[in-house]
Amino acid sequence: MNTPRETGLGGTHFIRIDPDRCEFLVPRWAFTDPAVLDKERAEIFGRCWLYAGHASEIPRAGDFVARKVGGRQLFLWRADDGAVKVYFNTCTHRGAMVCREKQGNAKRLTCPYHGWTFDSHGGMVEQPGASGFPDGFFDNGAKNLVSPAQVDVYRDFIFVNFDPTAGDLTSYLAGATEYLDLVADQGEHGMEVTPGEQVYSMRANWKLLYENSADGYHAITAHASYFDYLRATVGVFREDFNPHDVGGGGRSLGNGHAVIEYQAPWGRPVAQWVPQWGDSGKQEVARVKAELVARLGEQRADRVANWNRNILIFPNLIINDIMGLTVRSFQPVTPGYLEVNAVSLAPRGEHPEMRAWRQYNFNEFLGPAGFATPDDVEMLELCQQAYQNMPEVGWNDISKDMNRPDNNQGDDELQMRSFWIRWDELMGAAR
Amino acid sequence: MALLTRAEVEDFLYHEAALLDDWKTMEWSALFTEDCEYLVPPTDLPDADKNAALFIINDDHHRLVQRAKRLTRRTAHVEFPHSKMRHTIHNVRILEQDEHGVTVASNQVVYRAKRQNLDTFVCHTVHKLVRTADGLRIKSKRVMLDIDGLRPHGMISGIL
Repeated sequence: MNTPRETGLGGTHFIRIDPDRCEFLVPRWAFTDPAVLDKERAEIFGRCWLYAGHASEIPRAGDFVARKVGGRQLFLWRADDGAVKVYFNTCTHRGAMVCREKQGNAKRLTCPYHGWTFDSHGGMVEQPGASGFPDGFFDNGAKNLVSPAQVDVYRDFIFVNFDPTAGDLTSYLAGATEYLDLVADQGEHGMEVTPGEQVYSMRANWKLLYENSADGYHAITAHASYFDYLRATVGVFREDFNPHDVGGGGRSLGNGHAVIEYQAPWGRPVAQWVPQWGDSGKQEVARVKAELVARLGEQRADRVANWNRNILIFPNLIINDIMGLTVRSFQPVTPGYLEVNAVSLAPRGEHPEMRAWRQYNFNEFLGPAGFATPDDVEMLELCQQAYQNMPEVGWNDISKDMNRPDNNQGDDELQMRSFWIRWDELMGAAR
Repeated sequence: MALLTRAEVEDFLYHEAALLDDWKTMEWSALFTEDCEYLVPPTDLPDADKNAALFIINDDHHRLVQRAKRLTRRTAHVEFPHSKMRHTIHNVRILEQDEHGVTVASNQVVYRAKRQNLDTFVCHTVHKLVRTADGLRIKSKRVMLDIDGLRPHGMISGIL
């Protein structure tokens, strides 16, 4: 790893902050150096709470779903008593993956290698050739499936933590709970992950995606062709819409979490109607809105329905509550390659017509073949490739809005700086 | 009315592929009917219902034309400059046919090359073609990917 730099300018190990110049710099080798990724695996992915799935993905006893989380192969399994269980997907005998289907339902899972069999509480309940082991060999769960050190659930969002000494989930989420609540409150009967997962990747460092996911500044340039699409779509675009003036702004939520909250012209199934959805869509959106008002009160209902939120949960969960509602997590594989999994979240029991619009809407911007995400992938890959220009051009600039701290706007960069400050602390700056 | 032969259907599919390989996306969009759909279901649910599940591509005629138009613009950054794409078509089978049209399945391998990366899309594609006064037109094109995810592709930036 490059030698940590002491800047003497209020900067720390990695980042440089110059308050007088209102300048915030991040070294480009943080995106390219394999030793940085090794340290991130230990200090960030090994110690932070990581999103593993949504309770609605395993609704019935025995339901399971396999997941890669923080570089580990896990699976989530609904136990016969209804508890959410998470296990490392590896047999305690010789290591083969026990859960071989992406999702399914089972009372027991048998390792295909030697036949060790586990129940949904992780118990090793049967193995061929038991006479080859002394009495008591399997007592006290000695060969049970292993779970991450901590597993907890906040409003159906399931998180794991590989560090037994880490603090509790709710404290970790800090100010982000306010925004997870705004998402979870959308469904009268709770929220559910809809069928179909978008599984893709980017040839870029994982931190570039975190930055990009709440970057209002890039929209008008990088996504010019998306705004052309909106303009061409009858009854969606308001000519008075100015992407540089969307109200709201960015907020740091503590522990590296952040949000931008703003208004936009696109339709929101909960609950901002656009003429494209027709009269029946208008009636249904009005019904959804009235239910929100009755349940949450006028003010909160307006916020849920008419404001957009790009929510960043440190280090690798993005919940974009925009023209669709996406839950997107990503994992670094190498410094220059990340994997993404994204699903569409929706109110349980949503009217089929609105569900269809929701899924149609999602694809207009989001996902690996939307009208915007491929351009984001391209931007990230252009950055990653251009970081070869080191050491001559070695620093990224994330300074926008530092000159007006009391007037943060939706296309500013505060939320990225809060990520980097937390990242820098965890990577050793504060120790 | 004489039934379409496989060779006639293949000629149509080859024509479509050639337009895409040449980035003549507006001409490609003109091959579709007004009530068309162009779908890429999620890789884990190839038979999913577009109204219930999250697809990768879920285009009606309006969005398909906009997709085609976008790919002619410099602001479609991911495809400026255009990548090299090549469609190859195999195992063409007519599944159903009547006087109105034909349902045809094919195996397609689509290559995309840009900045020294080569990505391969393995596709099982089903076209529903209808006879019109202007010749055959596509009412439905459903591209089912025989890969576990868009890795390392990252995206479908052009048209499969």
